[in-house]
Amino acid sequence: MSKVEPREAFPDEPEPSERAAARHGRTAGDGAPPAGAPPAPEVAPEAVAAAVVTGDSRGTVTVTGTLAKAPPGGPADIPPGGPGSGPGGRRWSPVRRREALVGLAFVGPMLALFLVFRFGPTLGAAFLSLTDYRLSGEWDFIGAANYTRLLQDDLFWESLGVTAVYTALYVPMTVLLALGTAVLLHRTLWLRGFFRGLFFLPYVTSIVLAAVIWKWIYEVEDGLLNTALGALGLGPVDFLGADSLVLPSIAAASAWKGFGYSMLILLAGLQSIPREVAEAATIDGASAWQRFRWVTLPLLRPVLFFVLVIEAIQAFQVFDAMYVMTAGGPVRASYSLVYFLYDSGFKFFDFGYASAIGLVLFLIVLVFSLIQRRLIGREED
Amino acid sequence: MARLRLPVLLVLVAFVTVTPFVVMVLVAFAPPGGRTLPGAFDVTRATLRNFTDVLESADITQWALNSLIYSLVSVLLILLFASMAGYAFAKKRFPGREVLFWAFLATLMVPFQATLIPYYILVSEMGGVDTYWGLIVPTLANSQAVFLMRQFIVQLPDELFEAAKIDGASEWRVFTTVVLPLIRPVLATLGVFVFLWHWNDFLWPLVIGQSEGMRTLTVGLATLEGENVTINQIMAGATITVIPCLLVFGLLQRYLTDSIATSGLKS
Repeated sequence: MSKVEPREAFPDEPEPSERAAARHGRTAGDGAPPAGAPPAPEVAPEAVAAAVVTGDSRGTVTVTGTLAKAPPGGPADIPPGGPGSGPGGRRWSPVRRREALVGLAFVGPMLALFLVFRFGPTLGAAFLSLTDYRLSGEWDFIGAANYTRLLQDDLFWESLGVTAVYTALYVPMTVLLALGTAVLLHRTLWLRGFFRGLFFLPYVTSIVLAAVIWKWIYEVEDGLLNTALGALGLGPVDFLGADSLVLPSIAAASAWKGFGYSMLILLAGLQSIPREVAEAATIDGASAWQRFRWVTLPLLRPVLFFVLVIEAIQAFQVFDAMYVMTAGGPVRASYSLVYFLYDSGFKFFDFGYASAIGLVLFLIVLVFSLIQRRLIGREED
Repeated sequence: MARLRLPVLLVLVAFVTVTPFVVMVLVAFAPPGGRTLPGAFDVTRATLRNFTDVLESADITQWALNSLIYSLVSVLLILLFASMAGYAFAKKRFPGREVLFWAFLATLMVPFQATLIPYYILVSEMGGVDTYWGLIVPTLANSQAVFLMRQFIVQLPDELFEAAKIDGASEWRVFTTVVLPLIRPVLATLGVFVFLWHWNDFLWPLVIGQSEGMRTLTVGLATLEGENVTINQIMAGATITVIPCLLVFGLLQRYLTDSIATSGLKS
């Protein structure tokens, strides 16, 4: 495709790449901005923030919602498909061809990593789920058998239920805590930076650490909570050992660890609400609660929604906390979907089956992201 | 009146937030012997015994070393490869650029756990189980890093690179002497976050580091449970695990929180 077309090559071209592009019928704004023009702020900044911060090193799904609107916002870069934007529709001067080679060379290392360790495993997951891949490396193609087996597997439904209940507990806890602290910080100036840092502190530690500490806090014998309850004359509570308490207890520990992130996002959202709106409401005689309920909350809705979906996606992938605190117990009362996946793969070496569970997880998370995109997209219209 | 109540509430929430950390440190320094409670903690009896015990009985130094290798090597390589890719995506035109960029981003939609099994099979087929490269290399394909780099570099004026090129600098020289210095702030931010992600990572190190000597600190801490160790030693181990996070956090608190909070959200 990158064949040189001598006709179009201008030997005396001063700045070949952009000028040539302009000559080929591309609009001026398509290339580099003219000197002196401010660089187009073409990315939604929150997408950047979300991209940096959320999830683990391998990237959770959380960014998708905001990502969607980043590139279309910017005319300055990556042109949308259209006349002259694809390689096929463009003529390549030697200079352009060199540029293309340099570009590919610079993307090269990361591209190789992505091909082997991202695209490969993603396709591999779909494929493996249709096989009965064994520890020995042998496999047979078994079609949808893993999926029909999943549908009949009580463990699958149990773990799905546990994960759903956990999510239903974790998300409101985290978001309410985040919203509460964000509102508090927004309304007090006193040592704001200090408190903001303090509330964010648990977020920079690992969930394993949170689980180890909270496991001890919850302990029946000499745990912190039961000691405090004992001092109040209340009987010991088996937080992690009782069926009905184990998920709320784990969710609370995870909320402690995770609320800092949502708090920062919500705080930024609160700060972007113009002061005049609240002041006008005050003049109209609205109470603090009325102002919050009828002015702040509606304006905060998109941000709140973003945070809700992010935390829900996070919650659906829960594993570490349960692995450390309860090992899935008591009697699978905290046996999450990823725990089920982990056991199927690394305890029973049922790799094909585990891959099918992974695909179900992917679909669930995809649904969350799609809902988010749809609703956030609607807010913008 | 509300002005008075809000700080009180803040202090209360702050108290609840830090209590687990405080308790962790108190128990870590308390004399060994089962029933240690923060209320009964006596500063005069504070001891380093739990730290020395846990360092002797467990492979904590090895685990910490593994965590450091995992985190630091990943930071360096991700910063290098992601800034190279970000530069190309932002400033170079090449066939398939848009498709590739979106393909990179699309991988954010796939939760890591969903591809854990093929990941593991792939790396174990390549002989990467229980090796440093098996731990590190698969985690380098980081779309968030590429995305962030591209978004930052795209805002830099083209004239800077072109001037260097006219002066006869090679592409690599332009990259190392013009691009890298210019993107220092984003390199720092991303470096810190990559460090924390990897330092705190659990599932992948758990799966790929199967012998005790290849565990990272978080995996080691999780397995320390249940073995024949006291709660004091576990908390000492936890304290050791959290120190780098607290250091990074203490030094860069404003920086870290701002990079989330200045997200601006929607105006």
